[in-house]
Amino acid sequence: MDIFTIGFWIVGGILFILSIIKEKEKSKEAMKKSRGMMKNMIGDIIGIIFMIGLILTLIPPETIESVLGSENLLLSSLVAAVVGSITLIPAFVAFPLVGSFVDAGASIVPGVAFLTTLTMVGMVTFPLEKKEFGTQFAVTRNVLSFGAAISIAILMGVIL
Amino acid sequence: MKRILKKNKLMVIIVMIYGGLMIFKSEMAYSALGNSTYYLIEMAQILPVIFMLTVAIDVLIPKEWIVKRLGNQSGMGGAALALAFGSLSAGPIYAAFPIAKTLHKKGASVGNVVIILSAWAVIKVPMLANEAKFLGPDFMAVRWLLTVVFIFVIALIMEKFHIKVKSEDEIIREDVVIRQDYCVGCTACAKALPEIFMMKEGKAYVINPDLKLTALDDRKKEYLITVADKCPSKVIDVNG
Repeated sequence: MDIFTIGFWIVGGILFILSIIKEKEKSKEAMKKSRGMMKNMIGDIIGIIFMIGLILTLIPPETIESVLGSENLLLSSLVAAVVGSITLIPAFVAFPLVGSFVDAGASIVPGVAFLTTLTMVGMVTFPLEKKEFGTQFAVTRNVLSFGAAISIAILMGVIL
Repeated sequence: MKRILKKNKLMVIIVMIYGGLMIFKSEMAYSALGNSTYYLIEMAQILPVIFMLTVAIDVLIPKEWIVKRLGNQSGMGGAALALAFGSLSAGPIYAAFPIAKTLHKKGASVGNVVIILSAWAVIKVPMLANEAKFLGPDFMAVRWLLTVVFIFVIALIMEKFHIKVKSEDEIIREDVVIRQDYCVGCTACAKALPEIFMMKEGKAYVINPDLKLTALDDRKKEYLITVADKCPSKVIDVNG
């Protein structure tokens, strides 16, 4: 566990104990509600996780490397954004990967597009987002985030 | 059985893909399983905290506070609070879903829900440190700034177009629902229809929440509607 997750545990634990001490009955009720919500999601979450494992196997970092290093800047940026939307690789893998490309002199635009859609757009988590927040919300948020990622990438290319 | 399968459609598809891989390309299936382990551990580490936090939000934070600080009228202050909350959390984006949902139910606006979700996904402090290390502090700072601006823009657009949050568990409603918050505990329904309603801790509840109206004969259905009408606080909803 990294330090932030530990901190999160400490804060969550303290607040949780505080709730129980302050209002036992209400906490029981809230726990029942929360448990229901979690039970509703857990199947999907586990499904998502195995899906990520699958995608990581089908689209290994080497594939991402070949996308980021392609000659056509526009095409590679778009493809990078799409790949970022589909996969969910951990940040500690993604940053060094993009970093090595930038160091090698490649344009940062595809890299930024990839990094931003990686976290902000979630094709894999989309079914769950849709279930919990509705189709309209999930579609709009993901489409706008995709647009934002492309914009951020272009702006970064201009600024830096 | 059909119900369970339908509810876990994603799971069924995944199991089928893995099964197919096992048969034809078993090394790929093992590699995919191995890749999943990291995320399973991450989930196990984060979900208990999410559970505790949703309970704490529900119990400790008064509704009025959330409406005031994160509601439709909360303005830039609300956006900043949502941003800080999302950034200071830990865990993958799906961990943010229950939190954001709980906050929305208590009055947080759609825009602020978007900000919390996006910030939770993109601008985590440990991730920023990592980014600065591999891509340089300038790169990190510019990307952070642009991302924050765009998250606000997305939230604003979603507010302007009146995008609503609508979860499926609210769409697929049970046929007979008791809104317990308003039940006065008169026991009339439980006495009239003991096979459908029961009392617990001074509140009435539906014994079988999956009860379907179509499963009742016409006379009983009519009686149920009469009983619902006679409820003094009108908390029994009969849908359909």
